Amino acid sequence: MPPMNTKRDGAPSQDTSSFALPVVSDRPAASADAVGEALEHAAANASPTEPGYGRGYWRSLEEKLGTSEYLEETRPEFPAGADLPPSGVARREFMQLLGASMALAGATACSTRPSDERILPYTKTPPEVTPGNPLHYASGMTLAGHTSGLLITAREGRPIKIEGNPQHPVNQGAAGPWEQAFLLSLYDPNRARVLRQGKSPRALRVLAEDVSALVSKAAAADGGARLRFLGEPTNSPLMGDLRNRILKKLPNARFYSYTAMTQDAESEATRALFGGQAVSAVYDFSKADVVLSLDADFLESRPANLAYARQFADRRDPKNGPLNRLYVAEARYSVTGGMADHRLRVKSAEVLAVAAAVAQAIGGPAASLAGAASAKAQLRGDLNAWVQAVVADLRAANPGRTLVVAGERQPAAVHALAHAINAALGAAGSTVRYVQAPIAEPTGLSQVRALVEDIKAGRVDTLVITSWNPLYSLPGDTGLAELLDPAKNPNRTKMSVLYTGLYEDETSQFVDWFVPAAHPLETWSDGRAVDGTVAIAQPLIQPLFNGVPESELLAMFLDEPYRPAYQLLREYWQGQAAGTATTAGGASDFESRWEVWVSEGIVAGTASPAATATPDFGAASALVTGYTPPAAGELELNFVHDYKVFDGRFANNAWLQELPDLITKMVWDNAALVSPKTAQDKGLEPGSLAELSYGGQKLTVPVWVTPGLADDTVTVALGYGRSGLHESVAKGVGFNANVLRRAAAPWFDGGATLTKARGSHKFSLTQTHWRMEGRPVALDMPISELTRPSVETQHVLHRVQGELKPTIHDNLPDFDYSNGYKWGMAIDLSRCTGCSACVVACQAENNIPVVGKEQVARSREMQWLRIDRYFEGPESDPKMVMQPVMCVHCEKAPCEYVCPVNATVHSDEGLNDMVYNRCVGTRYCSNNCPYKVRRFNYLHYTADKTSTEKMLMNPDVTVRNRGVMEKCTYCVQRIERVRINARVEKRLIQEKELMTACQQTCPTQAIVFGSLNDKQQRVTQLHEDERAYKLLHELGTRPRTAHLIRVRNPNPALEPAKSAAATEGSH
Amino acid sequence: MSGPLFPRWTNTVSRLSAAALLAVPAIGIGGLMAYVRSPYVTNQQMPYEQPIEFDHRHHAGDEQIDCRYCHWTVEDSPSAGIPSTTVCMSCHAQVWNKSPYLVEVRKAFFADQPIPWVRVHNLPDFVYFNHAIHVNKGVGCATCHGRIDQMGAVEQHAPLTMAWCLDCHRNPEPNLRPAEFITSMTWVPPSDAAEAAALGKKLAEEYDVHSRTSCSTCHR
Repeated sequence: MPPMNTKRDGAPSQDTSSFALPVVSDRPAASADAVGEALEHAAANASPTEPGYGRGYWRSLEEKLGTSEYLEETRPEFPAGADLPPSGVARREFMQLLGASMALAGATACSTRPSDERILPYTKTPPEVTPGNPLHYASGMTLAGHTSGLLITAREGRPIKIEGNPQHPVNQGAAGPWEQAFLLSLYDPNRARVLRQGKSPRALRVLAEDVSALVSKAAAADGGARLRFLGEPTNSPLMGDLRNRILKKLPNARFYSYTAMTQDAESEATRALFGGQAVSAVYDFSKADVVLSLDADFLESRPANLAYARQFADRRDPKNGPLNRLYVAEARYSVTGGMADHRLRVKSAEVLAVAAAVAQAIGGPAASLAGAASAKAQLRGDLNAWVQAVVADLRAANPGRTLVVAGERQPAAVHALAHAINAALGAAGSTVRYVQAPIAEPTGLSQVRALVEDIKAGRVDTLVITSWNPLYSLPGDTGLAELLDPAKNPNRTKMSVLYTGLYEDETSQFVDWFVPAAHPLETWSDGRAVDGTVAIAQPLIQPLFNGVPESELLAMFLDEPYRPAYQLLREYWQGQAAGTATTAGGASDFESRWEVWVSEGIVAGTASPAATATPDFGAASALVTGYTPPAAGELELNFVHDYKVFDGRFANNAWLQELPDLITKMVWDNAALVSPKTAQDKGLEPGSLAELSYGGQKLTVPVWVTPGLADDTVTVALGYGRSGLHESVAKGVGFNANVLRRAAAPWFDGGATLTKARGSHKFSLTQTHWRMEGRPVALDMPISELTRPSVETQHVLHRVQGELKPTIHDNLPDFDYSNGYKWGMAIDLSRCTGCSACVVACQAENNIPVVGKEQVARSREMQWLRIDRYFEGPESDPKMVMQPVMCVHCEKAPCEYVCPVNATVHSDEGLNDMVYNRCVGTRYCSNNCPYKVRRFNYLHYTADKTSTEKMLMNPDVTVRNRGVMEKCTYCVQRIERVRINARVEKRLIQEKELMTACQQTCPTQAIVFGSLNDKQQRVTQLHEDERAYKLLHELGTRPRTAHLIRVRNPNPALEPAKSAAATEGSH
Repeated sequence: MSGPLFPRWTNTVSRLSAAALLAVPAIGIGGLMAYVRSPYVTNQQMPYEQPIEFDHRHHAGDEQIDCRYCHWTVEDSPSAGIPSTTVCMSCHAQVWNKSPYLVEVRKAFFADQPIPWVRVHNLPDFVYFNHAIHVNKGVGCATCHGRIDQMGAVEQHAPLTMAWCLDCHRNPEPNLRPAEFITSMTWVPPSDAAEAAALGKKLAEEYDVHSRTSCSTCHR
């Protein structure tokens, strides 16, 4: 037998390292104030030209400007009130937060006599279940016309964790925050449970009989001419088939598609280019050396962002060859903007001018469009240098190695220009592929407008709404809400409206029939990803709240005998398989294929074929000439989808509400974001209330000042200000910006005004908690600095990577970790976009509670993993660096030797273990932690869970009680499970089988975990990378997590190499 | 008139009270420490009444049914598992299928309702014990659960305190047995101490036993 873990685990005696007592060693005693000396040493080693505190990196404007209020407020280590007991009001607010995020009572209570506990075994154990072991099922989640492939972990029939399906071409194992947090909504006690007609509960059978009567009558009378459906775009083959079959029966009925995340402009442009065909562009960022984003947030905006982010990140690693270069022109500060090498702040309306100027200079097929476009929007003179540099760079790149992407908020004209530039640069066929669009039908606001016309003209008797909450998410002037409101529409009684949704929301209040929908994890469905690949989504659990699957609801309109969703789906695919089957085999052949489809989660060979037509740029010129640029006015108002709650459909999800916004780090709120200069002009301060008026509508909004926004613009996130009847988590959070939106200009328009109003608003932000004074924390530098470091860079590198001096930096005894596993992590800042998928993954995996806005304001957020966002440079136009920080598992951990009860101790593999049952809550460890990664349960955040919420908990992780400290464990429950499996099989743990939750979900593979004793593992190679450094290295804590310096690839024409190039973070 | 203020016997009294002053807290604390370790608190030697009068003496003892016939997940799951009702019925559909003892079992089976067994071995929720690794590394059922084949109603045999766990984790060799006797109720190590130690050493090597004592081994 090969020597396994040859070191005896935990030798019993003389092993003081696992009990970090004050050091008694035979070494020369460390000097009295070792830390002080270490800091002095660091200071002495620091370069005199090194930027001091507040001059290199900064996290907020107050910090940058060093206002006295800020210094006063953050001078103590914790914000004011962090250690106060809850007041009466706070307690009540906390109780209101009983959304789906607080858990299991009294799990760790000690009593001398165990309570009478019952064990309920299965009557009949399902053959695939081994009680105690998890099962993984491939499934999918459809969000606004795109289906993600998911892999869901179930424990004895309860789904407890959502991950990306590694076999899915878009997900490739990754999942964004939405997919993962979707699990919480499954168990949400606020979900609708009652099928009702008006206010009376009804059986589903009654509805089915009603529908059947309606259909048979309508089919005979007028072919369903007075029936309308408003649904999400059908990327599902099954739903498309159901639609077609309904239309066969009721040929005069109409289906309209609407979802808030419209690809309207993009599809309008491609339809024009491809002669009316539904075509979509698929990009390949792995081949692009130079990328120009015209307001495109392609790293974060759905649907293809997971695949794009991975391709893009692979080009940001110097080990993979020369870096790509990203130019971004945008008004807001997006995640993609944060990754840019050069970011141009322009108003959204000016993006057209930028696109036109680039197209003009590139020439070719782009030039004719550009001529028409430049008549619509003239490029500002001061932007010319930037545009010329971009053009030169695009031209200098090899043909087909460039990519220009237009954003979904931009008009079709910008999309047409982007396609034209790509064609002129030979990108088509290389970095851009045109494929048949997964959604064939027209979607978007034009569809809603047609529906509204129909209703106004009295052509509608029955309206079936399956689209998510249109009455909330539509722009305020669409008019649908007025038509459905009996108080405002006298003819409302002539129309019958049916709506299905997960919650009783803004739309359900005006409908005649409300049908609680089955959660996608409760029913069978299918759907296409952006590249056309079909995922079969299987249910993980029986409907918890009597939900009705959407497919079954639609199937009622076929007036056929009832068939469950599973049968509908299977029969559809059986038909498909019969149509395409080339080999003989018949039914048995289908059976085996179906098994494979369901178990793998994808239907192989369903990716969209390439588009047959070639783009005709002449046809697109009408788009450009027909485009009316928005009114130039005082302020440009920008609407954006929220990074957390999207269009509002995740507003009742407490995990997402408490996820710090990716850029502003704000929780439980939205705000009118303005640039520092605009704020100054308008006399606004962060937290001021202001009146935002636009298009005759007025709204009082709280203001937040965000560096890097274009001046004279206001950016507001949609999805807040929800007033749904039973959505208690979403209620009262933020303001509803849809009121201001107009269908004519749904994403940006000029002519808004912002005037200071009386009063102020208190925001909760996580970024200003935990101040790390003047120390190099997040590092980034141009790639040239890394290859040829200047003297200053050498100083910085010495400080973060240099040798540690014994007794000054290194005053704890060493422990021999050379045998067995030596767990470590590496986080590549070059790859990290800050998308926060890891934060949600950690929350789900580790039973982390949600604490609410007021608790976050007191710095009591519980997320073990935080993503620090640093700005760098001038406050008007800074760069951004994202840095995920969780417990770094110091080998010489400062938290351990201050714990009076040994509740935090070291394992023999280098894990900094937290023993909840020993913790008495002194919080000394948190005080002594230089990284501020420990989280304390100030209140019993997990109390008062409903029975469905308890089902969400990961049974492998303790649910912590009040008064207990907690922190990142490196997912020790995963290590132990994999270890036991490996030890049972008498082998070593393989690198591939062990992934932490954050690593598993990371779309860009920025987080890597493994054993540092294995030279072959990726984590070891990254630890030895020249970019690797340890946080607060000079303290001698020897973190097991290495961060890798972010490298930038600036264009020398725009950013000449500076003498003091390396900017060193102070925080 | 003069004489000692206190008579001689008061010396004894003061000595005794001084001793009592020390002894009472010592006995009190010691008593409490003994109390929490006592079978009363650890729940040992306390047979539980179960919803069904299931007798391990008959099944495991007389009939010599292997533990794993019912507790079939023990080799690959953290939990040994309570058998589902179908496992009971796999025999009792044929034998004793009219017995009044089994009315509740049949009821549960046909009503598809779980039988609410009372938990006997109840670890705190912050402890994660894994059966699979122990069974695979040569720790037998009887080592922790005792002579189940002699229990009419199952009771907790071992104290299940952390000290008891650590005793074995620090020195597992005396508690190892050959894999073929893993479920045996009657296997005992060789009576010769040297022989037993040699067997333990050999098994530890053969099964690659590396018991761990880091906190996160059991607490997560």
